Amino acid sequence: MRITILNGDPDPVSAFQQYVQQVAGRLADSGHTVTTLNLRDLDLKGCSGCFGCWLKTPGECLKRDDSAQVCRAVINSSLTVFASPVVMGFTTALLKRATDQMIPLIHPYFIIQGGEVHHRARYANYPAFGLLLGAESDCDAEDIEITTALWRRTARNLKFRSVFTAVADRSAWEVADELARVA
Amino acid sequence: MNSLVLLNGSPRGERSNSMKMLARVAEGWQRGGGQAPEMLHLARRSGFDRAVEAFAESDAVLLGMPLYTDAMPGVVKLYIEAIAPRVEVAAAGGRNPTIGFLVQSGFPEALHSRPVERYLEKLARRLGSAYAGTIVRGAGESIHMMPDEANKRLWAHLRTLGEQLAQNGRFGEAELKAVAGNERFSAPASALLSVVCRLSAVQFMWNPQFKKNGVWKNRFAAPYGPAIRAGR
Repeated sequence: MRITILNGDPDPVSAFQQYVQQVAGRLADSGHTVTTLNLRDLDLKGCSGCFGCWLKTPGECLKRDDSAQVCRAVINSSLTVFASPVVMGFTTALLKRATDQMIPLIHPYFIIQGGEVHHRARYANYPAFGLLLGAESDCDAEDIEITTALWRRTARNLKFRSVFTAVADRSAWEVADELARVA
Repeated sequence: MNSLVLLNGSPRGERSNSMKMLARVAEGWQRGGGQAPEMLHLARRSGFDRAVEAFAESDAVLLGMPLYTDAMPGVVKLYIEAIAPRVEVAAAGGRNPTIGFLVQSGFPEALHSRPVERYLEKLARRLGSAYAGTIVRGAGESIHMMPDEANKRLWAHLRTLGEQLAQNGRFGEAELKAVAGNERFSAPASALLSVVCRLSAVQFMWNPQFKKNGVWKNRFAAPYGPAIRAGR
């Protein structure tokens, strides 16, 4: 199984960073092909809302940065894990900036899905969606709930197959094994 | 309440729909007796830095944004992280401004913006700020395509909300409901739309632009993997 981990932790030496590494290691030891992208090391210029990826070069961002690498890794995985500490009640700006640049993965056309207006799919296959959260000291149960609810919406609109959420308060092995079952 | 700072969280900056909407709230604010507000664009470096300072200096802050992948745009979250020290200021007895929000999305229904509204309400609590409310509005992408005449009712609602903010320190519930428009489609309406959306001609927002850009035949391109077959 191909698994992509998008690590939105800006800090290269944090406890959460180590935790993500342990999860990735366990998944690799279980025989999965794991690609970890530490978003802080990539050149991501962010989305400026030009819709070029929909209307000028369909499927590709106009910006020459590493967002194409992120999109390619996501769409070619069975499971993509969005990993981030919860800062000020939500995942980091770094992870959000990377996610904003994922709209080339879907098509602008509107469809009705579950009685709501959403966008049309572009690809035949989309990965399962994993959310791995690091609860910082100022983070409470309500923050986790709000963050999860927001990402469920994002996952639905970006056509991910299913959603699995975990908080990094259990052993990395346990969480990795659960993620592997989702993939 | 006297001083207001308007923060435009749209990555499009000056030319955004969020900005147009914030400008109307500002008009109402002044009509309600507030001082001319300062307007800052978070997408510009200078605007972003000034916005971090301005948060500590104003009586009220109105942060407007488009919905990006169902939440706040990355630059708005970056701003929220930049004002994190204000949480401790409030905990130590300091004062933070009244804070209100505006979230507009390209989807026609307001429901898409409700989860981020919940986050923003919690953010106000986290900052120890009085919460003025969140203006939610769907179909925001159509604003710049419409003649000003067609947006008149929207502008009137936004002015009223600005006036309420100046006079009461918060938006009125009834006006927030009115500006939101359609919350969700009824079951019969969504069934009808589901059929209608399959007709390519209905995608009127997009088709002329594909043609103009010379990518009509390439519009379903899937550069990173197998494309979904048409019709799904």
